[in-house]
Amino acid sequence: MIWHITKRELYDNLNSLRFALTTVLLLGLMLTNAVSHLREHPKRIQKYNEAVIKSLDGLASHTDDSLYMLAQQGPGMLYKKPSPLYFCAEGGEHLLPDVVEGGSPFGYSDNLRGVWKLKYPDANINMKRVGPDVTKADWAFVIGYVLSLIALLFTFDAVSSERESGTLRLMLANSVPRHTVLIGKFLGALISVSIPFTLAVLLNLVLISTSSVVHLDTEAWGRLGIIFFTAFLYTCLFLALGLLISTRVQRSAVSLVILLLVWVTFVVFMPSTLASIASEFSPSISSEPRWKRHNEIQDELWTKYDKWLWTNRTEKETLTAKSEFFTKDAEAEERLNREGLTEKVAQVQYARAITRVSPATLLQHLLESFAGTGFERHLQFVENTQRYARQLREFVADTDKSDPESLHIIGVREGMTKKKILPETVPKFEDTLDFNKDFNTRAMELLLLALFVIVLLSGAYLAFVRAEV
Amino acid sequence: MLMTLIRRELLDNLMTFRFAAAVFITLLLVVAATAVLIKDYERRLVDYNTSVETHQQNVRKRQTYSPAIVRVYVDRPPNPLSLFNVGLDNRLGNEINVSPWHVPSLWDAQMNSSDNSFLNIFSSIDIVFIFEVVLSLLALIFAYDALAGEYEGGTLRLVLTHPVQRGYILLAKYISAMLCLLMPLLMSLLLALILLTTSTSIYLTTDDFLRVGGIILASVAYLSVFYFIGLLISAVTRRTSTALMLSIFVWGFLVLVYPNVVLATTAPQDTSAERGASAFGQIKQIWEEFDRERKHFLATDPVPGEDPMFDIDSPDGWGAGDGFSENRLTLSYYYWSVLYYNGKLTEESLPRVPHAQNYYGFLWRQIIDTADQTWLIRRQTLEDIFVKPALIDRILLKLSPVGMYDAATQAWTGTDLKGLQDFFDAVRQYQRTVIAYLYDREAFKSRLWFASDETVVDWDTLPQFSFERSSIGTNTKRALPDLLLLLTINVVLFTIIFLIFIKSEV
Repeated sequence: MIWHITKRELYDNLNSLRFALTTVLLLGLMLTNAVSHLREHPKRIQKYNEAVIKSLDGLASHTDDSLYMLAQQGPGMLYKKPSPLYFCAEGGEHLLPDVVEGGSPFGYSDNLRGVWKLKYPDANINMKRVGPDVTKADWAFVIGYVLSLIALLFTFDAVSSERESGTLRLMLANSVPRHTVLIGKFLGALISVSIPFTLAVLLNLVLISTSSVVHLDTEAWGRLGIIFFTAFLYTCLFLALGLLISTRVQRSAVSLVILLLVWVTFVVFMPSTLASIASEFSPSISSEPRWKRHNEIQDELWTKYDKWLWTNRTEKETLTAKSEFFTKDAEAEERLNREGLTEKVAQVQYARAITRVSPATLLQHLLESFAGTGFERHLQFVENTQRYARQLREFVADTDKSDPESLHIIGVREGMTKKKILPETVPKFEDTLDFNKDFNTRAMELLLLALFVIVLLSGAYLAFVRAEV
Repeated sequence: MLMTLIRRELLDNLMTFRFAAAVFITLLLVVAATAVLIKDYERRLVDYNTSVETHQQNVRKRQTYSPAIVRVYVDRPPNPLSLFNVGLDNRLGNEINVSPWHVPSLWDAQMNSSDNSFLNIFSSIDIVFIFEVVLSLLALIFAYDALAGEYEGGTLRLVLTHPVQRGYILLAKYISAMLCLLMPLLMSLLLALILLTTSTSIYLTTDDFLRVGGIILASVAYLSVFYFIGLLISAVTRRTSTALMLSIFVWGFLVLVYPNVVLATTAPQDTSAERGASAFGQIKQIWEEFDRERKHFLATDPVPGEDPMFDIDSPDGWGAGDGFSENRLTLSYYYWSVLYYNGKLTEESLPRVPHAQNYYGFLWRQIIDTADQTWLIRRQTLEDIFVKPALIDRILLKLSPVGMYDAATQAWTGTDLKGLQDFFDAVRQYQRTVIAYLYDREAFKSRLWFASDETVVDWDTLPQFSFERSSIGTNTKRALPDLLLLLTINVVLFTIIFLIFIKSEV
């Protein structure tokens, strides 16, 4: 029986103007998306590869010199690998920095040079571009804005128009359970929205995967599968909302007006308004106190070191003092840098948590995570660099330990091994995306989205069961 | 007769749920947005005031010209009307160095802000954006059944049995709908202005109120375009359900899809990198020529050696530096030089001081001339690389009424590119004044340029920077093309609807 009603709905929809318009619109959007991705992604990859090669060259030249140079100069720039699924969600990538700096040892004087530390750049605000602001027409936009609007357009009159024309009474006069009618209508609308969307997605993926410039591996396809599923769930949410309002309201025009206003509020305004409210009320962050603290620490270390220098100690003790001065200073600065970043990240996380009230933001977050872009991805990248920094420091210490002739004093030339090190043994930084981690952190939001759908569907069911025909 | 018709339509529109709901949503959004925007503005204003103070202190505590001139900065005050349309006000740099070694431009400005820069990943909204989205939707909702509903219900036939001209019916519908649309517009603007007066740091002048009037005018023209689009669809389709569907699609396309997608479809120019590189090469060449002359001067002057410090020494401390500074992205390349001695000079240095004075007099004349010379090349290239593509983007956006509305309101608020260029023109003007002031006092070739052993500089006479936003007349002139465009579309749409309606069978 359900299938009958679904089929009827489907035939109704497939012949309608909205179906034609939806197909054209979605195909056009996805085509644009694919074309612009194919145009821009190779440039991104090229830029990344060039930067990585340059950074690795720097690392190799330090390694060639000595272990000391490596311990002093560090790994240089560490770059974020651009995600191949960039076209799914841009996620503010153009604002987020794509690099963490692991280098620039502080020069105290000509013969005193400290050791490297990690430095996190600020978000890059492009002050040179005077053109209008551009939102990327990525999947997140197509699904979040366009597909949700379309879902509403397919369901706003599902019940109310039948009631207006009296066919609902006719149908219910037969021995059809009401929930069957509702589920049939829901499935009918879902399939009719899915057809143009799937077509558009297929067109998009065919264009992207057949081109030689973008390579999608198995993991990427897995991610795309989940993204598609999320889109499906998100569409269900708006279909259920449409059915609910359509059942509660007598006239379809009123139903659409309510739905549009709800849509505008939740999808267009809620994310940015809530985020700006949250960020306006978070205190401004100044780097000054941190710099002051750093200077204090540096001064303290310096006085200690100075004392060491002027009391007559053995050379080894002087070297140890020097090493301690360098490493402690770098450690302190790195810690302060990390604290600064954590403080900023906390504000952004807070704003992001608040905007989660809107399903559009939920979708945006999910898509970002699974596409490997956006803020969470940036944090993952930062974590990767931190792990790599530890790894490299351990490597330096271990290599030094393996040489019995060395004094094992890290950070000073005289105290470290003079042996050549093999460039292959030095750990290289490789930015990776962890699919499991992404999925685990996002499972909560996926569930929340599913919960929204269930609540709205049961709401629609209850309303329909109690509705007078 | 017209009055009766208008009254009937007005009652029809006002007593509906859609009107109440739309008014409620608009007010809610505008109030929420205004509260946030006011707080944001206040924060920017505090940042601005502190920054002005710091920059002035930095100059005033120097005793000689050279280290102070390096530190002359100009700050850009936040625009109070950015609440209505933020435009570029928040995005472009707001502090700029006006040292004579380069001509300051928009692209040399830095951002001074206490905000967490990561929060920029959230898009911000302004009042005009709310009108753009919600009220245009409301206009279509009013329009979709205006004619189609009457065709379907048969009331049109009834009305036309009376001796009423068809044009009157259209006019009555239009006027009443516009009155209904004006209500949420004016109410929310009024609420926003009331909120503004509660803030102690925002002062709106009479001109600002006139500019807000201009925004209202642009809003009315914009909403009327959407009403006409809805009416046209309504007149052509004759069925309310089809009209509604089509209207929403048209709205979604014009407001949502087109502005976001059009810029992704146009290929960005790739020639700009080469253009920039060649201009940068030219600029560098001019400065290299300058450097040759500088070295020649040093080589031929009576003091041997090529040392721009002339071995002058002060036991109380000194600082010096010079060299070339470059930024390929902004095509900035210049020679900088700082030299100062605190307190007394040593006895043996004193005979060399006149030579140094002579050199710095020559050097700075050269630097300023060269900076002017390179600016001609630089300005042209920056325009080509940054401004021209931006203008093309704007024109593309203007194919949708949203783009026109946005451009017109930005012109009124002065947050468009031209408004910001006004500021940087004023900065360049100020730099001219400062240079003229320095020439006037013969600062470059005076002893005070680098040594404070005899007297110290009196900074009270240094000209102060002041910037007035462009006059309301200029704003009008800038907003007029877009406004006229919107009005023309209105007239064209009305004519089409009129013709269709006149010819249509009831």
